[in-house]
Amino acid sequence: MLAFAVRRIAVSLPILLISTFIVFMLASLSGNPLSPLLTRNPPPPPETIALEAERLRLDHPLLERYWMWLTGLFRGDFGPSVQSNLNIGSEVAGRFMVTIRLIAVAMILALVLAVVIGVISAVKQYSKTDYTATFLGFLFLAMPAFWLAILLKQAGIDFNNAVDEQVVYTIGDASVPLPEGFGAQVADIAGHMILPTISLALISYAAWSRYQRSAMLEVMNSDYVRLARAKGLSRRRVMVKHALRNALIPLTTVTALDLASIISGAVLTEAVFQWRGMGDLLLNAIHSDDVYVVMAWLLVTATVVIVFNLLADLLYAVLDPRIRYA
Amino acid sequence: MRRSRAASLAAVAAVATLVLAACGGGGGEDGDASEGGVYQDCKASPTTCNAVPAAQLQQGGSLTFAIEKNLPNWNLNSSEGNVFETGLAVKTFLPWTFTTTPDLKQVLNENLLVSAEQTSTNPQTIVYKIKPEAVWSDGTPITADDFVFQWKTMNGKDCPECAAAQNAGYNQISSLTGSDGGKTVTLVFATPYADWKNLFASGTPLYPAHIAAQQGDLNTPAGLAAAWKWFGATVPTYSGGPFQVSNWQDNVALTLTPNPKWYGATKPPLQQLIMRVITEASQEPVALQNDEVQVIYPQPQVDLVQQVQNIPGVSQFQGLGLTWEHLDLNLANEYLADEPLRDAIFAATNVQSIIDSTVGQFNEDVTPLKSHMFVPGIDGYEDYLPPEQGSGNVEAARKILSDAGYTNVAEGQQLTRPDGRAVPPLRIRYTVGNAIRQTTVELIQAQVRPLGITLDIVPTDDLGGTTSSGDYDLIVFAWVQTPASFSNAEQTWNSTSSSNYGKYNNPEVDRLMHEAATSTDLAAARDTLNEAGRILAEDSYVLPLYQKPTIIAAQDDVANVRNNSSLDGPTYNVEEWGLRPAG
Repeated sequence: MLAFAVRRIAVSLPILLISTFIVFMLASLSGNPLSPLLTRNPPPPPETIALEAERLRLDHPLLERYWMWLTGLFRGDFGPSVQSNLNIGSEVAGRFMVTIRLIAVAMILALVLAVVIGVISAVKQYSKTDYTATFLGFLFLAMPAFWLAILLKQAGIDFNNAVDEQVVYTIGDASVPLPEGFGAQVADIAGHMILPTISLALISYAAWSRYQRSAMLEVMNSDYVRLARAKGLSRRRVMVKHALRNALIPLTTVTALDLASIISGAVLTEAVFQWRGMGDLLLNAIHSDDVYVVMAWLLVTATVVIVFNLLADLLYAVLDPRIRYA
Repeated sequence: MRRSRAASLAAVAAVATLVLAACGGGGGEDGDASEGGVYQDCKASPTTCNAVPAAQLQQGGSLTFAIEKNLPNWNLNSSEGNVFETGLAVKTFLPWTFTTTPDLKQVLNENLLVSAEQTSTNPQTIVYKIKPEAVWSDGTPITADDFVFQWKTMNGKDCPECAAAQNAGYNQISSLTGSDGGKTVTLVFATPYADWKNLFASGTPLYPAHIAAQQGDLNTPAGLAAAWKWFGATVPTYSGGPFQVSNWQDNVALTLTPNPKWYGATKPPLQQLIMRVITEASQEPVALQNDEVQVIYPQPQVDLVQQVQNIPGVSQFQGLGLTWEHLDLNLANEYLADEPLRDAIFAATNVQSIIDSTVGQFNEDVTPLKSHMFVPGIDGYEDYLPPEQGSGNVEAARKILSDAGYTNVAEGQQLTRPDGRAVPPLRIRYTVGNAIRQTTVELIQAQVRPLGITLDIVPTDDLGGTTSSGDYDLIVFAWVQTPASFSNAEQTWNSTSSSNYGKYNNPEVDRLMHEAATSTDLAAARDTLNEAGRILAEDSYVLPLYQKPTIIAAQDDVANVRNNSSLDGPTYNVEEWGLRPAG
């Protein structure tokens, strides 16, 4: 298992390096970080623009800039941001925690929903419950994430109006200022989490519940489940102990592979709900041609995806004893 | 098994309820936030509408105002910090000399100054008298030292490392001295500067020199640069305005509380003012509806205006601002260098139809702009544009071309010059993602097609790079006017200016603009600038389109907050902001 993990990491590193090179070139060539200065009216003095160009290393050739960035990483230097006061390293660290909170809660919610509804759908195949779950699954699959988020916001406002209380919030991950008292603070943060996490979770849940349903059906029709039932084991015991365990294996893989798309979903969710996480950082960086911030984002998210895929493989082996990497 | 069914039904019911509730939509059946409510008088009385005397307001309370950008740099006078949202924020705690009111007039900041007058025209001399009681929040008087610090950091000479947002005017000052214990400031110009009211004004407010001196020796470039950078990087603990910073959450919110040492006549009734960063404009009306913010000031778009109009208990008002859209031609293009072709393009362009299809969709007050030098509302505005420009008169355009010897002047043909060369397809550019500009260039493309002119629409994601490199044949973008715009005009149109992207060159226009910018007689300067503008218009270099509207929306219990379409923005009178008593 250890050798497998080391091998996977060794393969991932060159991929990461190549992707940094490609993204650096694309980001550097696609925009001009001096553009906001050049369009100012009245315009800044030419000396000011020259100073800024020098600070952003624009006076160096592109390849040299990439090399400076790459070697700088070993000194903990992520490069200059268009915001001169921004320390990219500490900014990314702070943002990462915000995004992880959003993604983790949304994924847990999506997984629980997917497993529960997927299993129920399979067990109750072709029942009204199954049809309803299928309809909702395809509805959320087809619904653009942005639109779903907007609908949820409106639902949240309607809910607040109905109970005549500010229960759910539409922007930020907490109120400013945070209310006093532990209970009030927990309620406030929860109120800010409800809509973004539901929004992000529903998109993933829709696909995952379909996987879970078909995996469960396949397992339920397998010989060993029929044998277990024939031996007199209860249906509940067979489902939980035998069928579900095996039916979770495909979902594990799908979940890991979907992480990249969840991160993409989080970018959108953070924008709509104004969470200051990695997604918001990326959008701002792209908008302001902040190449080095884009690169830091790429490094962190790519590493997370690689690590998560590795974990999925390990988990896969744990769930299915027939699979062994050694 | 029974429990599974129950769980399934509960989950389905919960999600279905949520979706159905969402589909139900929002807004109030009793809600109409059109230009009525607390803003019904704003068109007639832009400076006094939504006004409530301080005594009638709640004493205390909290108000949240949405701003659309983060505040990564606190030095508004630096190139990096000089953005509109930072201006909105720092005006709550910094002092300045002149401000632009909602009626686009430059008025003295009577909170800080007793007077500011031009006492001599040769050499041009300005004397500022600072109120004796004006102090920074640590009790240090606001004096000439603060003016001197600013002058030295922005003149481009004393501090080469200070990347100033601008140095116009500051680089023409020959001396700046204090007297009366620093409360009288005497400024002498080396060369006359018509826009002197722009100096130390709300666009470039004062920072405390005594705190700057703690960062380094202000008599050295290094000391000045250190202080300059410190002001940019450090969350302000100082204040010379009605509020002071009590908390800053990066990218989230600026929390302000009243400055106990505030010397102005009006004491802020609010206990707390929060500026919440909402970078996605489309989310602002939702936050307003959910009472998470009470005032928003986004860029108006059709959807957004409609959204705001459907929120009960909210009023909105749209004003016409100092930012104006225009169509520019690149005279470096050999075909466009020929004036009859330019005249014809401008005659065929129908500005009114562009307005009707874009900003006119949500603001019926927008009309074609007829000047390059001033906008309506600013003293000096004159409609001097030749009548055929922007009229959409295709026949007149055809006649211009035919009279000049052009042939194939018809749709489906390729316009041909008198020398026999066909006019090739020209590139018209706009900022990618800007739907209004996209519609504008599509309309212009269609409007010049009957002349045999083909325009290829090529968006750009680098407007600054595109304009400064002249990488366009035609382009649509915007300029920002200032109420005192004499030096601004020189920077924009002068043949040697780096902002003269289309390579316009007319020595007579250069001479007149310089004469205006160095005049000490404002009325004469306005006439001179209009004379320059008239020649510029006849040369068919830039076609003004319209003033861009601005929109403010606020809950109806918010008082004294009103639209200000200048660069000052709504916070120009932040000390008056307050809440009406409940009930």
